[in-house]
Amino acid sequence: MRALIIDDEDLARAVVRQHLEAHPDVTVAAECANGFEALKAAAQHQPDLIFLDIQMPKLDGFEVLELLEAEGKRPAVIFVTAYDQHALRAFEAHAVDYLLKPFAKERFDAALAKARLLVTAQPPVPPPPAAELAAAARQGRPLERLVVKDGPKVTVIHLDRLDWVQAQDDYVLLRTEGRNILKQQTLASLETQLDPARFIRIHRSYILNLDRLVRVEQDTKEHRDAVLRDGTRLPVSRAGYQRLRELWEDA
Amino acid sequence: MHPLLVSRARLGTYLLGWVPIALLLAGIARRQGWTWLEAMSLALPLCLLGALLFLGTWYLCRAMPLQNTADGLATQSAVWGTAALLMGGLWAGLAWLLARVLAWLPGLGALPQRVQLALPVITGLGILLYLASVALSYLLLAQARALEAERKGAELQLLAQESELKALRAQLNPHFLFNSLNSLSALTAVDPVRAREMCVLLSEFLRRSLGLGERRLVALREELDLARAYLAIEQIRFGSRLRLDLQVDPATEPALLPTLLLQPLVENAIKHGIAALPEGGTLVLTTELVEGHVILRVENPRDPDAPTPQGLGLGLRHVRQRLLGRFGSRARFEATSLEETHRVTLVFPLETEP
Repeated sequence: MRALIIDDEDLARAVVRQHLEAHPDVTVAAECANGFEALKAAAQHQPDLIFLDIQMPKLDGFEVLELLEAEGKRPAVIFVTAYDQHALRAFEAHAVDYLLKPFAKERFDAALAKARLLVTAQPPVPPPPAAELAAAARQGRPLERLVVKDGPKVTVIHLDRLDWVQAQDDYVLLRTEGRNILKQQTLASLETQLDPARFIRIHRSYILNLDRLVRVEQDTKEHRDAVLRDGTRLPVSRAGYQRLRELWEDA
Repeated sequence: MHPLLVSRARLGTYLLGWVPIALLLAGIARRQGWTWLEAMSLALPLCLLGALLFLGTWYLCRAMPLQNTADGLATQSAVWGTAALLMGGLWAGLAWLLARVLAWLPGLGALPQRVQLALPVITGLGILLYLASVALSYLLLAQARALEAERKGAELQLLAQESELKALRAQLNPHFLFNSLNSLSALTAVDPVRAREMCVLLSEFLRRSLGLGERRLVALREELDLARAYLAIEQIRFGSRLRLDLQVDPATEPALLPTLLLQPLVENAIKHGIAALPEGGTLVLTTELVEGHVILRVENPRDPDAPTPQGLGLGLRHVRQRLLGRFGSRARFEATSLEETHRVTLVFPLETEP
């Protein structure tokens, strides 16, 4: 098996490497100190297994996994982290293993054995979607940023820089800082990840960052437009208007 | 307990307040042709009786708190009106009785007759005085309630501060601990000497932070020692990613400040600064003494791609609250987020252990 060790701390990677010495069937294809290195190494080495830290600079572990998934690569994963253990307990239901730092040799060997089974399983076991794992670990807290991979380029969009989102079949068009970025995801699934107090589904095809809204104008009896700070106009459906009004009344 | 009866001074003040009323009463009597002797002999004891009689109003007021609704106010006005009429009458009756008794004394023989004529005036004055005593009673009750609320508020605030401090003391960042232990577990195999060094540093940090937690105020020196122990551990963990630039003015070291004020600043600088950057950066910690004030600065590089933080996080809010709680307007707290650096500055007066 080819494995990647992804962790921003040298010593943390060293621990995994040391434990792997007892398992000659696993070769460490590369060690990566951040998410970008991990994406590059994954493209180069096609690993079967990754050891993945969660809290890392620029891209966190879940985002790395999501980006790998978007490219159609989905190695078996063992999370190695000092992250909140209550959050990680949710993973047990998803057939994903995790190691809480620091961990014992036995625990490491058990996690590796489980990963081996997953890699060699016939028929292959479909891995749980990264977004689902991330949502489980967030424990109900809304998403803070989105990651999009477009060719070799990775874009991180912090949600307070996201103006609005438009549905385009299986994609969403993300409007941020004057640019349009496409991401493969449905509007409905994105909606569930966003903070409902900040992002409102104003229309079947639109989610709006409430912070950008200046006013709602009524053109004809049944047709309303949301006017944004930069002058953009987006359609507001009747249900969307209802949702906006509920928010105003609560405020 | 009646608020005017809790101390002699208060009762005395209250009775003194009746003296002008007695003089007023006597003055009115004089204008009706009473002699000074007659006027004073009646007015003084009558006012003393009134003073004692009207003390009772407070109990009635306490039993009948002022209402805000129109209905409630109407009912209460009716009650107070009736009570005022009754008490005015009662007071006049007392005046009449008093006159009868005083008539036995030489020179006061004409008093009963004079009082008889003055009964409507005395009744009217009694009614007014009674209404005034109602107003006074409500005022006293409101004041007592306000004082009570203030005391409770202050108590609650103190309690909240205490519990916050306790929470802070108990809050040994678990993420830091587990990551450090993980580094330690790596070092045991590759570098036993450094592993031992790390054990010692970690123990020192724990011992210091547990020891500090028991005090309200510490010298900056001790806070700096704790920060140095913490940073030495983080330096093992982050390796070359964490660079330190410590510039401490020795003159600031004895300055007293609330416990564990520096630690959250340093932890934040690591968490949101160094740990969020792949290549890490330099954490700058400086202290200087300027015109009797300590200026303490913690600066770290930040990820320019991350959004600028809106407002203060919980940790920094606590620091500010505790700094200002201790020094008030003599201290200053500043958090500045620039494109590539984040800086927190504390300014507080140099106060040392006596």
